[in-house]
Amino acid sequence: MAQEMRRDRNVVFLGEDVARAGGVFKATVGLLEEFGPQRVRDTPISEQAILGAAMGAAMTGLKPVAEIMFSDFFAVCWDIVANEIAKTRYMTDGQVSLPLVIRSGNGGGSRFGAQHSQSVENWAMAVPGLKVVAPSTPADVKGMLAASIRDPDPVLFFEQKSLYATKGEVPDDEHVVELGKANVLRTGSDVTIVALALMVPRALQAAEELQAQHGISATVVDVRSLVPLDTQTILGEIEKTGRLVTVEENPRLCGWGAEIASIVAEELFWSLDGPIVRVTTPHVPLAAANSLEDAQLPNTEKIVAAVRRLVD
Amino acid sequence: MPQLGETVTEGTIAAWHKQVGDRVAADEILLDVETDKVSMEIPAPRAGRLAKILVDTGQTVGVGTVLAVIEVEGEAAAGKREDRGGTPLPQETEDRERSSLLQGTDAPAAAAPQGVQAVASPARTSNPSALERSDIQRLSPAVRRLVAEHQLDVQAIAGTGRNGRVTRRNVVDYLGTRGGEPELAVEPAPTTAAAMPPPRATPAAPVEPQALREGASAAASPRPAAAPSPAPAPGTTVPFNRIRRLTAEHMVKSKATSPHVLQAVEVDFSGVDRVRKAVRESWRAQHGYSLTYLPFIAHAVCAALREFPKLNSTVKDDALLLHAHVNLAIAVDLGGDGLVAPVIKRAESLSVTQVAGAIQDVAGRARAGKLKPDDFAGGTYTLSNSGTFGTLITAPIINQPQVAILSTDGVRKKPVVVEHPDGDSIAIRPVGILAQSFDHRAVDGAYSAAFLDRTRKLLEQTDWFREI
Repeated sequence: MAQEMRRDRNVVFLGEDVARAGGVFKATVGLLEEFGPQRVRDTPISEQAILGAAMGAAMTGLKPVAEIMFSDFFAVCWDIVANEIAKTRYMTDGQVSLPLVIRSGNGGGSRFGAQHSQSVENWAMAVPGLKVVAPSTPADVKGMLAASIRDPDPVLFFEQKSLYATKGEVPDDEHVVELGKANVLRTGSDVTIVALALMVPRALQAAEELQAQHGISATVVDVRSLVPLDTQTILGEIEKTGRLVTVEENPRLCGWGAEIASIVAEELFWSLDGPIVRVTTPHVPLAAANSLEDAQLPNTEKIVAAVRRLVD
Repeated sequence: MPQLGETVTEGTIAAWHKQVGDRVAADEILLDVETDKVSMEIPAPRAGRLAKILVDTGQTVGVGTVLAVIEVEGEAAAGKREDRGGTPLPQETEDRERSSLLQGTDAPAAAAPQGVQAVASPARTSNPSALERSDIQRLSPAVRRLVAEHQLDVQAIAGTGRNGRVTRRNVVDYLGTRGGEPELAVEPAPTTAAAMPPPRATPAAPVEPQALREGASAAASPRPAAAPSPAPAPGTTVPFNRIRRLTAEHMVKSKATSPHVLQAVEVDFSGVDRVRKAVRESWRAQHGYSLTYLPFIAHAVCAALREFPKLNSTVKDDALLLHAHVNLAIAVDLGGDGLVAPVIKRAESLSVTQVAGAIQDVAGRARAGKLKPDDFAGGTYTLSNSGTFGTLITAPIINQPQVAILSTDGVRKKPVVVEHPDGDSIAIRPVGILAQSFDHRAVDGAYSAAFLDRTRKLLEQTDWFREI
């Protein structure tokens, strides 16, 4: 974010506890010091107010980045996101665009309970007019956040909370990763595993285990951007293996994997060598107990089992 | 009790392979189940300890019934809740089943950890292998496509997938080992062959005309014959492909079902030839294919069948079902690799020109592999054409469940005695034999002979110029 704020004075940042506290996940430490209270603002605890202000700022020419601390809280500001922000460009015949980004902590695995652990990227991708991004690596967070800020339209940027501690190489120089490009992390010949965010490292680990212990060779694709969706890369990788396993943190019904499965069934039916398999969180609210949350979320063991059932 | 098949509603426990208290591994065979259709081994859905057997050997229960309870390792404490309550209440089980539908994976429903998992539920959710076990012939879309594109006999490919299923890789490997071998057929092949219903078939493969020798062919289609398959090396075994196998089965069954009787008449095709010669060029220019003898024969046969409906019928248990319309099946050879008999519906209502067009249509689509299941349905009488090679007579096998089939053989110029009140003379006439095999259960020889005589008279005496 600092890279973009240095580059463009119109980029401003607002949210709950993002300035003086440096964010509840300490993701924005140092921004207030570098850019000052005019451009980095703490807000009251009102998600509707945050996004209303961001929308107004975007209308007047600023490029706001707003933070919704937990993506679960999109539920209280859905009118402004789904009915206003998503539709303004269309309803003004292109006269008003909203170059804003909404960053949000998303997903489970960090023991926050049912109301602070949901993966809601599938809510967002159901609304036309919103771009939806969910990176899995530190480098992609930097590059895709930069691309999101530069994008002329609203982008919902989901940061998986359990990935905040991830360490990884990040380019020091200006780094921008184009939206709508999936990342092929590993190529294999037996099955293509398509994953997002926290599920990506788990899918990679599963692929290693499948190779080492079961002789199954897996391709792993990090979707990264749900809208726009890189169907070309994803379909290409699935066509090579003839088998697809999607790994998603969304609850079962209407998770993003279902959309991929639908596209694949329509476009690649004659290339499929087995049923499309989705590994998801069950369709229940996430549990508060550590052991139960672990049992609900897809993990390496479940991915390995699903792939083996499909390939064996 | 898993769903053992689409229409199966209950199953009988044949044997339990584990006793209460035994440890079971995931996917280890737990019990055998029998139905009137299949006998299957049912694997354990999870590892654990067999806590309860709820349905004993020999009992028959409905699909979805809980058969046993497996206590999952490490969750025995939670399992005690179950023990205290005794047998799981039906409602409880139902809830668990329902939740399994919504589960992300087949892990136990975390929302309601019971410490146990019932060995039951629709096979689709908890035990996908059970269904597949009953159908090793199931092919994936990718395999179907490859097999069709490369004209492969899937039976010749060793499957290494679950239960011997042929995977895409098996096909690709097979193609690799086959190397530069020539394709089986040069002609476009029926890409849907694998999905076709059993082809209606006739005995001698009717072959396409090599060339339209003057007066020598009664062939169905003007297209050149498919190149014959490369001759297999002597001393090798050529495995049947699907169509060959189905044809073989159909032939044996037909001969076993119907007592065949062969009758033949010699037909003077002079009248037909006159009109063919007269319109040859204009027909070809207008329609893009040659006018052969077959449409005339088909037209005459349809007209004669209206007068002899018992040959346009099906033998039922103790009766003969007379069909309202003549749905004429036309045997079409697929380049030596098989034979199909697509059907021209209500052929009795068509003119010669329309019949010619219909034959051209189904024969063309048969060779292009574009026939649909409907194209094979409902045939009531079959025409088979072996005339291309100048055969004298062919004894065809009936295309079940029909009761008669007509073979058209070569038409050749022959000296014919022409009777006339002023005295007999000898003339050179194009003559060919129409041979009909009929089912002696349906009709007797006199009836069949009268039909053949009527067909011959129609072919010889109709003013075909008025019909074209």
